[in-house]
Amino acid sequence: MARGEPNDGGAERQLTLVEAVREALAEEMERDPTVVVLGEDVGLLGGVFRATEGLSARFGAGRVVDTPMAELGIVGIAVGLAMRGLRPVAEIQFADFLHAAADQLIGEAARIRWRSAGDWTCPLVVRAAYGAGFRGGPYHSQSVEAFYCHVPGLKVVAPSFPADAKGLLTAAIRDPDPVLFLEHKLTYRAVKGPVPAGEHVAQIGRAHVVRSGDALTIVSYGRMLHESLAAAEQLADLGIEAEVLDLRTLLPLDRPAIIESVRRTGRLCVVHEDTLTMGLGAEIVALAAERLAGELRAPPIRVAMPDIAGIPVQDPLEDALIPGRHRIVDAARTLLRGSRPARSAAAYDAAAAEASSVVEVAMPEEHLERALSAVERACREFPVCNAEFTWDGIKAHDAVRIDLDLGPRAPCRGDGTFTVTDFGPGSSALGLPAVRPGQTAALRIGAVRDGAAWLALTVDHRAVDGAVAGRFLRRVKELIEGD
Amino acid sequence: MIDLERAYGLMTLARRLDERMWGLARAGKAHFAVPCAGHEAIGAGYALALGAGHDFVAPHYRDLSAMLALGVSPREVMASFFARPRDPSSRGRQPYAHWGSKRLRILTLGGPQPNHVTHGVGIAWGSRLLGEDSVTWIAFGDGGAQKGEVHEAMNFAAVHRLPCVFCVENNLYAQSVPARLQHAVTSLSQRAAGYGMPGVAVDGMDVEQVHAAAKDAIDRARAGGGPTLIEASCYRFRANTSNDDDSRYRPADEAARWRARDPVRLLAGRLGARRARIQDESAEAVAADAAAWAEAQPWDDPASALEHTYAG
Repeated sequence: MARGEPNDGGAERQLTLVEAVREALAEEMERDPTVVVLGEDVGLLGGVFRATEGLSARFGAGRVVDTPMAELGIVGIAVGLAMRGLRPVAEIQFADFLHAAADQLIGEAARIRWRSAGDWTCPLVVRAAYGAGFRGGPYHSQSVEAFYCHVPGLKVVAPSFPADAKGLLTAAIRDPDPVLFLEHKLTYRAVKGPVPAGEHVAQIGRAHVVRSGDALTIVSYGRMLHESLAAAEQLADLGIEAEVLDLRTLLPLDRPAIIESVRRTGRLCVVHEDTLTMGLGAEIVALAAERLAGELRAPPIRVAMPDIAGIPVQDPLEDALIPGRHRIVDAARTLLRGSRPARSAAAYDAAAAEASSVVEVAMPEEHLERALSAVERACREFPVCNAEFTWDGIKAHDAVRIDLDLGPRAPCRGDGTFTVTDFGPGSSALGLPAVRPGQTAALRIGAVRDGAAWLALTVDHRAVDGAVAGRFLRRVKELIEGD
Repeated sequence: MIDLERAYGLMTLARRLDERMWGLARAGKAHFAVPCAGHEAIGAGYALALGAGHDFVAPHYRDLSAMLALGVSPREVMASFFARPRDPSSRGRQPYAHWGSKRLRILTLGGPQPNHVTHGVGIAWGSRLLGEDSVTWIAFGDGGAQKGEVHEAMNFAAVHRLPCVFCVENNLYAQSVPARLQHAVTSLSQRAAGYGMPGVAVDGMDVEQVHAAAKDAIDRARAGGGPTLIEASCYRFRANTSNDDDSRYRPADEAARWRARDPVRLLAGRLGARRARIQDESAEAVAADAAAWAEAQPWDDPASALEHTYAG
């Protein structure tokens, strides 16, 4: 809804992504008479995807110009318009055709400010529809972002939601530098969402957490962002809460947002429809490796198009190649399965089954030394309770080192082979301890009441049978109560 | 009518600066010289037909005489040659002859030729959209004229009758490749018919002819008559750049024939020996001062290379 028309006071309507693009163009043309639209079929036809529908009738053929079929000329002429002080928005029908104009975008638009030491500028927007999934074949389906994300001086924006399409396109038109604005053609009509009426400007260069989670971080954009969200729902059914980060701007990359999320989750999965090698995933995984090496709990995974020379038009071939929610779910499960314990914080394997056993033991208030020596001896007698479970087998620890957890003010160091928790007088009489990473069992001593306390043992059930746990606990009881 | 005295002053100054740069580059004092010798009449002829600071110029890299006419000072030319911070076109980021000045309405020129031709068309269209009557002069070489981008630019300008002039400075060689291997038409101005615009061929060694054709085309563009294609034939008297060896591809007698029609000497003959000599001596002194001044300029702080990739 443009200014001057009645609106409902900033209320949000549901628009498709292409409607949001169209609204941003119309509102900016209304606001700023120097905004002009040029490209193939943008006038009478309204663009092959109808993104510019109605603009020619509203703003005239002088500002919405149907150009000859010449991509290099379209971008080069738009560069000249931008240098002259106008705000051109050039449409390249399919991102695949942008290669013809690459010299103007890479060699000229992106470099004009730098090469003139800030004298000349090039505030240009090039919009292009990209992406596969509609049987377009190898010349109407490409993802081209990686080529242009390697061009300092350019900004590359790829919205996933209608509200961002409007806000970021508005920001791109007002930006003092050239912006390549990539619109995934399958999101044009399939993605609908709330869009603020009236002026709406989003900030270029900022990613956005669209779903919170702590098990892993999925980084994506465009259509794959929606596949990532669908995958996250499936993962939630498995008890895995994935965080999904929508990049929104691909260049400059929002590095702080990526680092912040991956630091929290310790696991990274990058999803893009562009091919794998030298794609955005490589840069994002490199960023994680450089900045979070000690904090990653599993090697990062990239889910991407295989390195093939084109997108095939044949239905089952295209469907098999485009990354989707199932591949993302598989990647997430691999990330969690391959996890190792973090060095900085205790980590619990969500897949580990636990079993518990409880027994009452006679003991005085002053019992810690006696209890620890009992546990130490029992551990030697039951090596499986002083061990680590791995998928390659159960590994007994060479020595017994007890992690003593005396409560929140004196937590254990976390590098032991068995954990004993004893919060002392005034704590609860019975509580089940958790098994720490790298261990197979933990014992909690409850508060002593009337000369006795409840001892609870938890074991990693993948390593320790319930019967063994029971025998271990009875042995600890004997050793504490005996002479 | 062109002011011949003024034209000669620009042309002889361009020649003196050019000779000095060639020598300095050969002496290892600077990286790169791009000779303009042989092209002086074209630059002076068109620049004096434009409104300096009002009309836009997307120049050919051999248009030193035009740059001087539009207001680039000899010291600035030499600062650009020595890649010093006082270079107004790029602060020493680009090699010499990659002109540019927003204040003087000279477009920033990149390396690949002739990428600026489409920019000139965009500038011309922008001037119309902004309601200004400025004309854009778009110059390029015979080598650049063979690229597809020039076709796209001229076609668009003709369709929309944009206020611009295309000028091919045809010196018969794209570095080493001769005209006969570049184009089949006898004059590149014949191509104008294919776009539906007037095409004019002029002697680019004669500043009066260039000026007259330029003025005619500029007036037509300003009046809404659309673009014109001018071919100005000339000959470069030196190699393509200081990194080139033209003896490998050009016969010596060909250069001698063209030197007999040297544009600077041709105009000196019309002006009279005495008036020409006064200007020559003055130009020599100005060129010497500019070179000495520029060579003594300090370098930039290396950290400044990080500036201007993005705004702010």
